[in-house]
Parts: sequence; structure tokens; C-alpha cells
Amino acid sequence: MIKFNFYLGATVSAWLLVILIVIAEFIVQFKTFLASTFGHHWIGKAVIVTFAFLAFGFLLKNRNSIGDLSDDKLAWYSVLGSLIVIFLFFIIEFFK
Amino acid sequence: MRDFVLFAHIILGLALIAFPIIILLYLKKQTNWIKPLSFATAAISWILLLPAGKLYITFYPATKTLIKAGSWSWAHSIIMETKEHWGLLLPIIATVAAGMVFTGKAEESKRWWILTIILSALLGIMGRIVKIGALQ
Repeated sequence: MIKFNFYLGATVSAWLLVILIVIAEFIVQFKTFLASTFGHHWIGKAVIVTFAFLAFGFLLKNRNSIGDLSDDKLAWYSVLGSLIVIFLFFIIEFFK
Repeated sequence: MRDFVLFAHIILGLALIAFPIIILLYLKKQTNWIKPLSFATAAISWILLLPAGKLYITFYPATKTLIKAGSWSWAHSIIMETKEHWGLLLPIIATVAAGMVFTGKAEESKRWWILTIILSALLGIMGRIVKIGALQ
């Protein structure tokens, strides 16, 4: 079976999504770049995050931890953290 | 066209609640269809991006205009903005869950299936809030 680290792929893509959202909201040119390259900024984020999931899942296939953190814990808390940060980010942006 | 895409969106979304529940119920029984069902669930989570994207990109802009002009502008600025991005993590979460089933870590897959169920349900509720927001 092809080796793939689902956990670290998910970890990287979860935080990359947060980074893409924040940059796209603060730098209009970046959002425009995503829209002009992929047809829509949402498609751009989807393609980049999916690519990161696959690429880092394969690249980090032989690792089972980053520092002292096991990959399963890292993925779990990264995904939950990403979901929470995204929600809080849009709340803060709305009330700003 | 819009109705077809909307129904596909709802049906696939409901499958992402129902299938993980079935998987969780039968995970310990080592049945031979758990792996195919896990694969199908992960596949559905990726396929779901198609109707979701079509609705968001083609049909949502008109709804967005209505919401922003009404008294529930937060329904777009907070709920829809969050929903459109949480939706990008859903296939990754479901794929991790399926990946754990395929790599013999069924016990570890449980919390990922539960997260798939909770997130799918939340996305559905958020969609409903956005819809109501357009009428305010």
C-alpha cells in the first residue's frame, strides 16, 4: 500500500487554510490573484489546501511526530484550532 | 439547474451524517463493508465540493446582496464566510477518518468520524441560518 501521512497532511492544510483566509482578507491583491488564477478565490483556496494535504501527506510519510508532538494529536488539535480560529476571525472582522 | 444542485448538495451533506453514524455503529464488528463505506464517505466529501461550489459561486451572490441589505448582515459576514471555509476542511477530516480505517487504526478513526458528523450538521444548520438571513 502507498504510504501517506493523513495526520500531517491534515495538519499542514488546516493551518494553511487559516493563513490563506487571513492574507486574502487583508491583502486585496492576493484575493484578486486567487480569483484571477483559479476563477474564484474560494476555488483557489480549495486547490491550494487540497494540494498541500496531498503533497505533505506524501512528503512526511515517514514521520510520526513533529518535535515532541505525535502526528495524531498534532492533526486533531490543528484541525480543531483551525475551525475555531476561522470562526473567531470572521466574528472579529464583523465587529471591527 | 439550481434545484438539482441544491438537492445534490443536501443529499450528499446528509450522507456525510448518516454514513459516519453507520460506520461508528459497525466499526467494532469488523464487517467487510466498513472499508468500502469509509472510502465512499471520503469520496462523497470531495464530490460535495462540486454542488457546494456551484451554489456558492453561481447562485449565492444574489442571496448575499439580499442578506447584506437586510438586518441580518452577520448571516453573511460571520456565518456564510465561516461555512464556506469550514467546508474546505470537511473532505480532509473525512479522508483522515477513512485513512485511519484503511491503515488499521479503527479506534483512532472514531473521533474523526464524530467530527465529520458534527461539522456536516453544523454546515447544514449554518446554511439554514443564511437562508433565513436573506428574508430578514
